[in-house]
Amino acid sequence: MAEKTVGKPIKRTEDPRLIQGLAHYVDDIRLPDTLHAAFLRSIYAHARIKSIDTTAAQKLPGVVAVYTGKDTQKIGPVPCAAALPDLKVPDHRPLAGNKVYFVGHPVAVVVAETKSAARDAVDLIEVDYEELPVALDEEKAADAKSPVIHEQFGTNVAYKLTAGEGDIEAALKSADKVVKQRILHKRLAPIAMEPRGVLARYFPGEQELTLWTSTQIPHLCRTQVAIMIGMPENKLRLITPEVGGGFGSKLNVYAEEALMGWISMQLNRPVKWIEGRRENMQATIHGRGQTGYIEIGFKNDGTLTGLRYNVFADMGSYFQLLTPAIPTLTGLMLSGCYKIPAIQINVTGVFTNKMSTDAYRGAGRPEATYVVERALDLVALELKRDPVEVRRKNFPQPNEFPFKTATGLFYDSGNYQGALDKALKMADYTKLREEQKTARKEGRIMGIGVSTYVEICALGPSSAMPAGGWESATVRVEPTGKVTVLTGASPHGQGEETSFAQIAADELGVGVNDVTVIHGDTAIVQYGIGTFGSRGLAVGGVAVYMAIQKLKDKAHKIAAHVLQCEKATFVDGKFCADGKGKGEVSAPSMPVAEAPAGALPKPNESGKTLTMMDIALEAHVAKNLPADMEPGLSATAFYEPKNFTFPFGTHIAVVDIDPETGEIHFQRYVAVDDCGKQINPMLVAGQVHGGIVQSIGQAMFEEVVYDETGQLVTGTLMDYAVPKAVMIPHLELDSTETPSPVNPLGAKGVGEAGTIGATPAIVAAIVDALAPYGVRHIDMPIKPEVVWQLIKNGPKKTSAGAA
Amino acid sequence: MKIEGTQKIAAPRDRIFAALIDPAILQKCIPGCEQMEKTGDNQYKAKLTAGVGPVKGAFTATVSLQEIIAPEHYKLVVEGKGQPGFVKGSGELNLKDAGSETEIQYTGDVNVGGLIASVGQRMIQATANMLAARFFKSLEAETATNSPASSTGT
Repeated sequence: MAEKTVGKPIKRTEDPRLIQGLAHYVDDIRLPDTLHAAFLRSIYAHARIKSIDTTAAQKLPGVVAVYTGKDTQKIGPVPCAAALPDLKVPDHRPLAGNKVYFVGHPVAVVVAETKSAARDAVDLIEVDYEELPVALDEEKAADAKSPVIHEQFGTNVAYKLTAGEGDIEAALKSADKVVKQRILHKRLAPIAMEPRGVLARYFPGEQELTLWTSTQIPHLCRTQVAIMIGMPENKLRLITPEVGGGFGSKLNVYAEEALMGWISMQLNRPVKWIEGRRENMQATIHGRGQTGYIEIGFKNDGTLTGLRYNVFADMGSYFQLLTPAIPTLTGLMLSGCYKIPAIQINVTGVFTNKMSTDAYRGAGRPEATYVVERALDLVALELKRDPVEVRRKNFPQPNEFPFKTATGLFYDSGNYQGALDKALKMADYTKLREEQKTARKEGRIMGIGVSTYVEICALGPSSAMPAGGWESATVRVEPTGKVTVLTGASPHGQGEETSFAQIAADELGVGVNDVTVIHGDTAIVQYGIGTFGSRGLAVGGVAVYMAIQKLKDKAHKIAAHVLQCEKATFVDGKFCADGKGKGEVSAPSMPVAEAPAGALPKPNESGKTLTMMDIALEAHVAKNLPADMEPGLSATAFYEPKNFTFPFGTHIAVVDIDPETGEIHFQRYVAVDDCGKQINPMLVAGQVHGGIVQSIGQAMFEEVVYDETGQLVTGTLMDYAVPKAVMIPHLELDSTETPSPVNPLGAKGVGEAGTIGATPAIVAAIVDALAPYGVRHIDMPIKPEVVWQLIKNGPKKTSAGAA
Repeated sequence: MKIEGTQKIAAPRDRIFAALIDPAILQKCIPGCEQMEKTGDNQYKAKLTAGVGPVKGAFTATVSLQEIIAPEHYKLVVEGKGQPGFVKGSGELNLKDAGSETEIQYTGDVNVGGLIASVGQRMIQATANMLAARFFKSLEAETATNSPASSTGT
């Protein structure tokens, strides 16, 4: 019996191939006769295409074909799965029609024998553009006077949505005080280490298309691409080889995926496109992009009465898969981990001449947490109370779960005090506040920021999801006792090849290395949904667990039959007779001819106990099975969660600011996260680390910038400030464990915790540091220059989003 | 992007103004300008090589001179496009006497797009300043009292 592994920080089994460079990403797959594609993308943010001349490009040696919007009209629109009332959905074709809407909008694609020929030919395409006025800022673009992007709508407002419960007007009126604040969530670029890439190969004889693409949702992508290019879904095989990160940017279906498939069918040759980093910045979805107005009402004792959030959400010019749905997640999570009797969100989704926004790690929830946490800090500031005290005052108690929010959710389980107390103790909060007093006396600038967050994970029940919220798994015990897990989830860095193997190994009494987890090939794996929304373990892992239970049920029956007892039990990796019956291994009911050489070994029928391997062999040789039982040892489960899960935690940032330069240094960073039951604490820590790093990026460095004409200024990694290792403090992590009652694993999910919990803590620490200068809020990213200006001039004379 | 500055050149105002609307001299003075061809009244077509940092390439541009008030003012409108993207700009030049020298005040607004915008943005201002400096240096050489273009040369 192998040692139990669940709950242990075992190393990721996928890492050796990754760190040795032995893994295969899309670009590592080389097929003979492959053609290479390159895109001509718009250099204008908004323009009419008067003419396109591809003559010179077509004549360039090595060029096989050039396609424009006119040539690709048979390909259906790029899909948007979000359905909202009165949503205006632009017709999003893979290549531009008579207008371009953003810098990076694909206008033409060249296919050539070599990558360089394709790129050279792109430069030879002549496009005559008539520039049009642009609408860029989501708030100004919603104005009736703004230039209109999609003329057929007569407005840039894509939709308006009001949500929430309780009488908000009365709640704000009944408050002793109401504070207001305008806040910005700047656009961010997800920056997966591996950009997107697609390789398509059509087999004309079989009329089958294989598409290798870097995606988080292989099955959904297959369905959608099949619809776009009009081929039977079961003739399209979609494979995601290694995926070098997604962060939501590959939770999508992109024009390039359909185009490569379609081109391969036109030319009967494999065709490959690998996104460059500049293309990645321009034409892979961005995240966030909200301008919002907070109003929060509260009593003099700190009790919250109501919260209103009016928000302009930047859609970009087109919808990608979930674009308009992201702000609705912001609305759902506006209660944070507090009792707020009345909540209202008013969303105005606005088209702008920019790339689409969509899900980026956290997807609408970091915005919600940031809104609530900034609001709580403003309340504390207004009441001159410690921000921790105000938070504690409004927490639901652990015995109040499931806790219903005024946004219509039922939080599954929680102990917000527990995580907060642990974090305060780790940071030695009381002492930190004393140190801060001393520091201020000595003229040093020190700040402490606390964020208590809750997030919505394990997305989600199908009723709340556009395309199904369940997940699938097939578990097989092969004749040799090796275990194969096929998961519909599509891990791409989360480490589920390891954590799912841990679950299977413990349940089936085999070693982790006896388990192989297969994912991301629609020809092998049963239909599944994919990996996003912190659902891998808490939905996908549960499906694996469910399939194992079915399989074990059968294994028990085989064991009882072989052991000639009524019922067998499985303890420490062995089946043995339970009570009644002979409890001895039976001989096959009929004499069997000797197996030919090289065939399977004979089942172990000599002892009084059987391992899972013995049972698997019995199941496959099928000579001694109960009457009417099917041979084989395999089970499939489709798990539909009954609710979301709601992980939570406390993050504390402590910063020192250099008064001469405005530079921000982390003195401490403490985080206590509660993601329910942990299968592998090392993977949990890894997820939290990565999330906090991206939060630091958002809080202090990152911002997608378009200039006033819609040119993308942050077009490369020289200009877009992804945090570097040197900018990251030591992270002091711990956790509490409040199991989720939603699923049998008790797991909640942790993929996005860091990006949700950390940003408000960091901003709060910086604002707290600058409180003596009259600062009550600063918009992200908080750069040294902004801090320096505030120190020198105070908030009144500094325009950089400070108030 | 805004460009502005003042430049003093040791030459009489008339001569400088004449040089500033003379396509042959402009071609010599504009950095990277390979050709300047008259297409109409105060309208020119130019070919030039320009770049920002690592992004370089050939541009074709239309140049038009407007609001000409000799010898003190004119407006320059340039629209160019090429493989590295596009440049659009307009600027005004005002000349006045400053003792024996002439002072040229210039203000302009330039927009760029395409590769030069996404890769070179941070260097555009510096590049613009550098190009302006080189332009005026060449102009000074062309209009200096001892230059071949000078009608009052000794």
